[in-house]
Amino acid sequence: MSFVLACPHCGPRPVDEFAYSGEVTRRPQSSPTLRELTDYVYFRDNVAGRQREWWQHRQGCGEWFLAERDTRTNEIISVSLPKPGT
Amino acid sequence: MSALYFMSPARCTPETLASPLERGLVGAPESLRDLSPDGKVELRGDLARVGLAEGDELIRLTPRRGFLLTGDPLAAIDRSRANGVLAYDMTGALGGLAFEGETLFRRLTDLDPGALPTAGGFARISAILVRDEGERFRAYFPQELGHYVVEVVLDVLAGLAGGRSHRA
Amino acid sequence: MRLPAQPGELIDRAEPLGFRLGEYRLEGFRGDTIGSALFANGRRVFSRSFKYHRPRGLLCCSGHCPNCMMTVDGVPNVRVCVEPLREGAVVTPQNVLGRLDMDFLSVVDKFGGPFTPVGFYYRTMIRPRFMWPVYEKFLRGVAGLGRLDEHAGHSRRYDVEHRRARVLVIGGGQAGRAAALAAATAGPGVVLVDESVRLADVELPGVEVLAPARALGIWEGKLVPVDSGTVLYRYRAERIIVATGTVEQPLVFPGNDLAGVMLPEAARRLIRDFSLRPGQRAIVLAADERAPEIAETLREAGVAVPRVVDLREGARQLEAHGRRGHVRRVVVDGEETKCDLVVVSGGRQPAYSLLSQAGGRVEYDESLKVFVPRDLPAGIEAVGSVTGEGIVRAEGAAAYEGSGKCFVCICEDVTTKDVKRSIEEGFDSIELSKRYTTVTMGPCQGKLCQLPSIHLYAHELHTYEATIGTTTARPPWAPVELGLLAGRHLEPTRRTSLHFRHEELGARMMWAGPWKRPYAYGEHPEDEVRTVHESLGVIDVSTLGKLLVEGPEAAQLLERLYPNRFADLKAGRIRYGVLTSDGGRIMDDGTVARLADDLYYVTTTSTGADAVTAWFEWWNAVWGYDAEIVNVTGALAALNLAGPRSRDALQRLTEDELSADEFRYLDAKHIEVAGVPCLALRIGFVGELGYELHFPSSAAEYLWDRLLADGARPFGLEPQRILRLEKGHVIVGQDTDSESNLLSAGMPWLPKMDKDDFVGKFALEHFAERDERELLVGFTMEDDVVPAEGAQIVVEGQPAGRVTSARRSEQVGAVIGLGWLPRDRADAGTRFEVRVDRRLVGARVHHGAFFDSAGERMRS
Ligand code: FES
Ligand SMILES: [Zn+2]
Repeated sequence: MSFVLACPHCGPRPVDEFAYSGEVTRRPQSSPTLRELTDYVYFRDNVAGRQREWWQHRQGCGEWFLAERDTRTNEIISVSLPKPGT
Repeated sequence: MSALYFMSPARCTPETLASPLERGLVGAPESLRDLSPDGKVELRGDLARVGLAEGDELIRLTPRRGFLLTGDPLAAIDRSRANGVLAYDMTGALGGLAFEGETLFRRLTDLDPGALPTAGGFARISAILVRDEGERFRAYFPQELGHYVVEVVLDVLAGLAGGRSHRA
Repeated sequence: MRLPAQPGELIDRAEPLGFRLGEYRLEGFRGDTIGSALFANGRRVFSRSFKYHRPRGLLCCSGHCPNCMMTVDGVPNVRVCVEPLREGAVVTPQNVLGRLDMDFLSVVDKFGGPFTPVGFYYRTMIRPRFMWPVYEKFLRGVAGLGRLDEHAGHSRRYDVEHRRARVLVIGGGQAGRAAALAAATAGPGVVLVDESVRLADVELPGVEVLAPARALGIWEGKLVPVDSGTVLYRYRAERIIVATGTVEQPLVFPGNDLAGVMLPEAARRLIRDFSLRPGQRAIVLAADERAPEIAETLREAGVAVPRVVDLREGARQLEAHGRRGHVRRVVVDGEETKCDLVVVSGGRQPAYSLLSQAGGRVEYDESLKVFVPRDLPAGIEAVGSVTGEGIVRAEGAAAYEGSGKCFVCICEDVTTKDVKRSIEEGFDSIELSKRYTTVTMGPCQGKLCQLPSIHLYAHELHTYEATIGTTTARPPWAPVELGLLAGRHLEPTRRTSLHFRHEELGARMMWAGPWKRPYAYGEHPEDEVRTVHESLGVIDVSTLGKLLVEGPEAAQLLERLYPNRFADLKAGRIRYGVLTSDGGRIMDDGTVARLADDLYYVTTTSTGADAVTAWFEWWNAVWGYDAEIVNVTGALAALNLAGPRSRDALQRLTEDELSADEFRYLDAKHIEVAGVPCLALRIGFVGELGYELHFPSSAAEYLWDRLLADGARPFGLEPQRILRLEKGHVIVGQDTDSESNLLSAGMPWLPKMDKDDFVGKFALEHFAERDERELLVGFTMEDDVVPAEGAQIVVEGQPAGRVTSARRSEQVGAVIGLGWLPRDRADAGTRFEVRVDRRLVGARVHHGAFFDSAGERMRS
């Protein structure tokens, strides 16, 4: 893995400056069933294709952001700052 | 801000203070200078509203996060907070090292020496890199890694000077 | 014997260089490679082959094949044909028992023939079972290539340098140079990399030439590591132009591996670069158009060329025979010619590996009978013969019939027979067969064997090369020293501001996550424990993670991050907190002090600072509370001053009031100690009256010295572990693991389930509905033995749990510990057994602290 990812603030940087935190999940609102909870905690779509995921520019500016990446090619389609509360 | 006085070396009696790079830099070439005691303030908030004093150097990491290199961190903190920007004294948190040479720079980081200041990977840790005139650079990094940084820099320098053996 | 000076020869005859081969002292010239110098000294056998230990000589002279690998100055597997000669070099042959020209292992070739077919080891050496250790010992001794110098890592320096290029051209042939020059007209930032020393002095206006150096591969993000010896240049390029040209292919016929069988380029380099005559009497066998040209070059150098065969002129039967591994005669269609040199040309295969690594497709070109690159990814281009341009179709490059071994892969000693056999056994796809026969998996990485082996498969399977396809080309394109890939050894070590004080005091330092910490200062950690119980100890806890959380919504943020409550915490007070994940698992713990309405000071475990900071920041990126999270771990040193004398001792250094009423247990207070502003936290991890002082790390040595001068005795991590165990305090990550939750780890009182939401709440709701299978409890051993961490807990003869911590405590007068037990065995006083060494020792469950269970001492 040596692809380049563009931090929304710092611009293109080698991927090893970033921390990866997996695909974007949807947290249940309140008291989920055990099934809903395990779905959320343990199961991922793991798509071969475009995926929305969390990244943090850990060694740089520290920002958490969202990236859309093609998991087959590591092509980054877009990056954006999260809109909190959504 | 009085609740955070306990973070400020400037509030200690001067003779109590030491630098994390002190021991590592004994006998080091003069091109390496210890900048650890210099004032450093972390800013959170609307950086456009930070008031700068003469000689202050503002490094923007994001629109809401920056570092201020300043001769008087206490005054800078008061001024920023008065302007509604949170400010923290990071003078003791960050070690600082000035060094010379673009080759040395390239052996420590793959940041673009033409696109500084910025924060990024440096000798496998995270640092803020600044460029001064010519091939002079400054790096600021967690002080607990300061001795490590000096060891690495000295070793790379030895390599550039044609030395063969690692930490012989 | 050198030829008269050749135009453009690389050697400097005025400067002889001495070197050693085994016990021999030899001489060459500056400009020689070790290989050419050895050749000039009459050496014809350079190595012994991998499996059969057959003698091998210079084949390519270009660093492509395995034949000239030797150990040079302790570095194994050096291609001596491209390794510049240096004064005093010590060269030793590899893969040899005895001498190069008299290798005892070559019996494998003579007698082992039928016993060493492909798959031999898999099939044979597994029986009889008990013999395996004997086989293994022998095999380990003879297998592999070269011997590693175990100390080499300390004597060689490797470095990595990061570079950028607008245009990176790989390959400095005609096409590569032209492309570089064209790119340079558009501006600076053009770099050309070439393997040959010849390029070192070439001037190309506007182009930076890097030679001799080797591009090892093209990685994602247009990353090209370039090997230049002991520095690895990591190039990031905007545009990459590959001009790697072609690799000359050998012919496949019986005896094709004998020393003296050479590719045209090898002969050409020996003559032109080093002024050496490659042989006296040569036969030229060419499957392409180059026969006359090769013969001409040889004749110019004074080599007799009695026979020139253009193999395209019809099916031929070829055989080479030799003596002592060196070619002596060649039989072409039954007609024999004596010779000591056979120059073979099997055509040229585009060197497409870099392009296919970069994501290009590789396709068999039926008209050229070679593989060519197609469909290159954006930003990657190919120029020159690597595209197939200018290549003439080769015909008759293989003559499989005849007597003697016929090698399709010289690296791995795979013969045509081996490949046929693997096909008979059902390995009829190239990728499977490759793994079975190991064809293309040797040091040449397929450069000389991929195309011939695919031709062979097509021939045997009566199909087309295009159907067979190629094996996957993976980086590196050329072998590289591991040291170079590893680069400088970088191990970021975190040291507290008191690191050198600890060393001066003779502390035994140990790793604690990324930190170095004192294990203990003396031989007897229990002495340090006693000091804390009886008088005054001090421990450096600067490694604690320290975070500030500040802002109008700081309280809401913490309220939602922690299972327990922090909104109602009064300014100046402290509360213990545990972080859990949404899966309900325990992640980290520490204290939270409220310094002001909108300002909290959070501590984490020593290894948790970065992860907790990132965790807080991530959740806040999701929730968007108006609060800032600032990691101030390094800004602050922290000392825990503990023991019955701590209040008096500290009071002597401060004017602030420390009385039990003014500064209560779990208070956080700003005080000034010996001129240093401190945040003092009254907490009791070690169970005695104590103060945790947090203050600017720059003043750490000063304050430490003052405290020691005042009678405080330092204690290390080990005594601290004993002390906390006496209190039954859990260490997250030591006593808990990724399966532990608050209910099972003995903290059911901690989560406040009536809160609207907190991370982990959903899971805890579900945990509450079931019974935990295992509980974390304390225990006391019946005998004076200390079980290891992880020791098995045994109930009624069955394994039932495990010990997570155990220490001998003088204070308690017993060996105490923590461990996981089945819930129905976890009641206080229940007896169970622990496996210690080979025996079972009794133990009894103990709830709560083992010592001062009411906590009076720390609250005093
Ligand atoms: S002869 Fe040296 S690598 Fe082929
Ligand atoms: Zn960034």
